Amino acid sequence: MISIRNLTARVGEFHLRNVSFDVPEGRYGVVIGPAGSGKTTLLEAIAGLTPILAGQVSLGKKDVTRYAPEDRGIGIVYQHGYLFPHLSVRENIDYGTGNGAPAAQEVSERLGIAALADRDVHSLSGGERQLVALARSLARRPPLLLLDEPFSALDPKRRTHARREVRALHREWGFTALQVTHDFTEAGLLGDVAILLDAGRVLQQGPPDEVFRRPATPYIAEFLGAENVLAGTVRVLADTGPDFVAVEEPLPAGALAPGYHALEFLSGPISIYTVGNAEPGSAYAVIRAEEIAVARTEPATSARNVFRGRIVELSTLGALGRVTLDIQGVQLVASLTARSVQELALAEGEDVWASFKAMAVHLC
Amino acid sequence: MRASSPSSHRVISVVAGLGSSLLLLFLVAPIAELVTRGATSGIRAVGRDTELRAALILTALTATGATLIGILAGTPLAYFLARTRSRAAAAVGAVLDLPLLIPHPVAGIALLLVLGRESAVGGSLLKAGLGVVGTPLGIVAAMLFVSAPLYVSGAREAFARVDRRYEGVARTLGDRPLRVMRRVTLPLALRGLVASAVVMWARAVSEFGAIVILTYNPKTVSVLSYDRFTTFGLSETIPVAAALVLIALIPLVLLRVLRYERRMDQPW
Repeated sequence: MISIRNLTARVGEFHLRNVSFDVPEGRYGVVIGPAGSGKTTLLEAIAGLTPILAGQVSLGKKDVTRYAPEDRGIGIVYQHGYLFPHLSVRENIDYGTGNGAPAAQEVSERLGIAALADRDVHSLSGGERQLVALARSLARRPPLLLLDEPFSALDPKRRTHARREVRALHREWGFTALQVTHDFTEAGLLGDVAILLDAGRVLQQGPPDEVFRRPATPYIAEFLGAENVLAGTVRVLADTGPDFVAVEEPLPAGALAPGYHALEFLSGPISIYTVGNAEPGSAYAVIRAEEIAVARTEPATSARNVFRGRIVELSTLGALGRVTLDIQGVQLVASLTARSVQELALAEGEDVWASFKAMAVHLC
Repeated sequence: MRASSPSSHRVISVVAGLGSSLLLLFLVAPIAELVTRGATSGIRAVGRDTELRAALILTALTATGATLIGILAGTPLAYFLARTRSRAAAAVGAVLDLPLLIPHPVAGIALLLVLGRESAVGGSLLKAGLGVVGTPLGIVAAMLFVSAPLYVSGAREAFARVDRRYEGVARTLGDRPLRVMRRVTLPLALRGLVASAVVMWARAVSEFGAIVILTYNPKTVSVLSYDRFTTFGLSETIPVAAALVLIALIPLVLLRVLRYERRMDQPW
């Protein structure tokens, strides 16, 4: 387990302030944040490569805050690889293990770079450099591996392969990983724990699905790519039991926990129904675009929120379609498959029905 | 703001080009003239002029000695200066530039005050059998004083160009700092370190002002050329001076070769 407590560090004018989070033993943590949010500084502070001003870094039960980097049992892989330019690929991979360590050979083969062994690192592509840097760190089998956008220069095919192999090695060898990424898909695919960092502070942390579905603030929601963040007012439907959502099967665990109410969220002229423990007053409703269904006719659905609106914008990108609806002046974006867009014969200017479940609405 | 016309551009280009050409001519012409007139006689003189041969050997040995001392003592200092962001480091960096700024005879006088027979250090060294004034050791001291700052400054730049993340990665791969220095930092900074050492050696070879105060005899080539000039006049000096220029060309050629080598300090 990696446990970070109130970590504070400074690099030039940038401050990392009171960062705290845990990644359980053998789990995969992902740090998500915009450029300049302090992700790399965080990794370097954990590795002991950036001096910290305050706080504590623990690995397992060991407080390693004052340990030298070489004594921490932490590997780090940078986005740019930082392969030693005076050494060959093989010498780079063997750097921390000596010649021909079994783990180095296994990792090289699994990452598909065994054939590069005798190459000069100057002849490698950006993606190959990232894979060699990954192999170099993995070869030592560190208990904690820190990864700073390690797949960013790989083409889609190699990226998928490398992700799968790193995840497989992570499971087989049981090391703990903490990866920095901009890529929300990657975070969802790899991460057991997501840590959202902005301006040197942790904004939110938890399982990736939870962070994506239940962002703590509208800023986080927008940062995480939520298309629909609506400002409005919450009204507690005190006379209505929370079981009004019970028709929306299956309900997630805790959805009807004590203290939860049926809620009405008023955004302009439309009312959106949900359930939760929000206090009455101003709030934001977050509805992910993929939660909104679009139909040509009024749907016979269990979804509590059904609206009629007009398509004001329609676009498709690859297998996905993006439909922007105007519902009495409120714009909602729905994400459909391109095939659905085609089958429904959707077109701009047409009236359609949009529906989403009460549980798809998150108030913050 | 009004854009300048093409004709005014042309005038500026011509004036700038003329100025640069004249400066280049001014810098190259005297050396070219000296080499043209004295290269053959200089090479011949090395064969028959025992005093010149002794001066050349003395110059090469003392410059090499000073450079080795500069490398041994200056490399750790340069690394410290490259990796430390503190006022103390900035102050040390500024102090290191001082020997480059003061006139070299003044540097010789300053050295004489510290290393002369009457001084505490010079007296102690003399008692230990290490006379400085009037000995090759004095030449080494003078050379070291005026040229070591060039090495430290160049080596500091060479270390600064090595991204600290290479060292960081090496440490996470299990290396202690000294091992990182040997396996990563020095190999990556090597080209710059060698270039700085070459510059230091060349500067040491060409030193005159400080040497002439500390050790007139035995003579280095620079002192010998001055001695010949004041004793015999210009024509007798030309072979000696040309020999000195030819020695100075060796590091110049070395530097060019190093500069065209592949850069090893880029992030990969």
